[in-house]
Amino acid sequence: MRSGFSSKNVFPPDFSQVLKSRHKILSKIRNFFNARDYLEVETPVMVKCPGIDPYIEPISSGEAYYLSTSPELHMKRLLSVGIDNIYQIARAFRSEESGDLHNHEFTILEWYRTGSDYKDIMLETEALIAFVFDADGLDKKKINTPFKRITVDELYEKAAGWQPSTKWDEDRYFRDWAEKVDPYLKTANAVFVMDFPAPLSALSKIKDNGRVCERFELYMQGVEIANAYSELTGVAGHENYFKKALKRREELGKEKYDIDGGFMDAVNRGIPESGGIALGIDRLVMLLLNKNKIEDVIAFPEIRL
Amino acid sequence: MLDTTAIRKNLKILMDGDPWIVVDFQFVKPGKGQAFTRTRLRNMITGNAMDKTYKSGEKIGDEAIVDEVEMQFLYCQGSTYTFMDNNTYEQYELTEDQVGDAKNFLVDNMTVEALFFNSRPIGLETPNFVELEITETDPAVKGDTVTGATKPATLSTGHVLNIPLFVNEGEWIVVDTRTGAYVERVKK
Repeated sequence: MRSGFSSKNVFPPDFSQVLKSRHKILSKIRNFFNARDYLEVETPVMVKCPGIDPYIEPISSGEAYYLSTSPELHMKRLLSVGIDNIYQIARAFRSEESGDLHNHEFTILEWYRTGSDYKDIMLETEALIAFVFDADGLDKKKINTPFKRITVDELYEKAAGWQPSTKWDEDRYFRDWAEKVDPYLKTANAVFVMDFPAPLSALSKIKDNGRVCERFELYMQGVEIANAYSELTGVAGHENYFKKALKRREELGKEKYDIDGGFMDAVNRGIPESGGIALGIDRLVMLLLNKNKIEDVIAFPEIRL
Repeated sequence: MLDTTAIRKNLKILMDGDPWIVVDFQFVKPGKGQAFTRTRLRNMITGNAMDKTYKSGEKIGDEAIVDEVEMQFLYCQGSTYTFMDNNTYEQYELTEDQVGDAKNFLVDNMTVEALFFNSRPIGLETPNFVELEITETDPAVKGDTVTGATKPATLSTGHVLNIPLFVNEGEWIVVDTRTGAYVERVKK
């Protein structure tokens, strides 16, 4: 036994292979979108308004700035001025998120397609995942499409015995998610969980008389891989969402950030009908390489900083 | 009083008078939703396991005070492990369950930290990294230090793990006791 051994610069034995595979996956993703005439864009890492989702905490970067928690608002600003069919591989930063599937700094693939909705994005996501899984040098892992589709109500009925959209209870919803639904999802290889209860619509379109929203998440082997919307477009819907989100943050005793004025200008100008999605690159790499921890696929995760 | 930010593997929490150790935990947070930490706890005295889910920020109890006493591992007979206090020469016994995963890293005469709760021995504390000898593995493949390919190897403790192709039988390696995985080769 010995003491004083630091593990800061110790990498797993196969780490060079991990980085080569990660490189290949990123190349394939870019090939996929470039072939479909998407435009690769960049948005800022340092932002002035970090967003006000009740359960996403930004990391501040100096007095007037925050590190971006998501490229969503800036990409939608591009949509509003007619720059459409865009994708980005972006860094995002979130405080208070650390674990086997969470690193404070992580990589998001985000894309928007004008004139489409969340079901179109579902098909495109399937096509992307199948294309990436078929990459040379990744043992040509096979994935069967179409993926399973299940509504949140069906999922909760099976895993927890109730339907959240008809009897909304936020605290019960999230506790059941952690204790029952999350373990239940581990039994599925790939499943789209869709039609979330309206209170969880965030910036997606609400349907069915305000009961559920056009939002889906992709789970693969129990790991949340992506979150997608038929994007909210109208001014009233946005104002309503921001009002509720700020009220919720206040109830939770969390800091209330300013609403991004540039984004509201974009909303007023008009965000086109579109579908959009954010997909966790690190987690996708984990699945493709059979790794259990996000730190196994990032060169410098929290533990090696 | 500790809250969920303190949760890590091997954290000891006092609940109903007993020390409970965090065996495993999972941070669960949907991208847009409340965060929880799912834990698997083991009672360090009875060995009973229990699952408990905490909401982020929730209080989880006080840290259990468990003393560490330096001991020498003498021998194992059946499922009983015998240790000697290096200062008092007094001998103590632990069951296989109490020794837990540490048995994978124990060799005779090794110095270890025994855990005492209310003056009773209840288990062992393993350092994160230990040096152990490889007693069985296929011959090394020269020059192959980059491909990341591995082969199985058995350590002097009987623990089996994967090591890089270039490491030989009789060589010593650093093992991460938290994962049981190879870290690096040691020059002896």
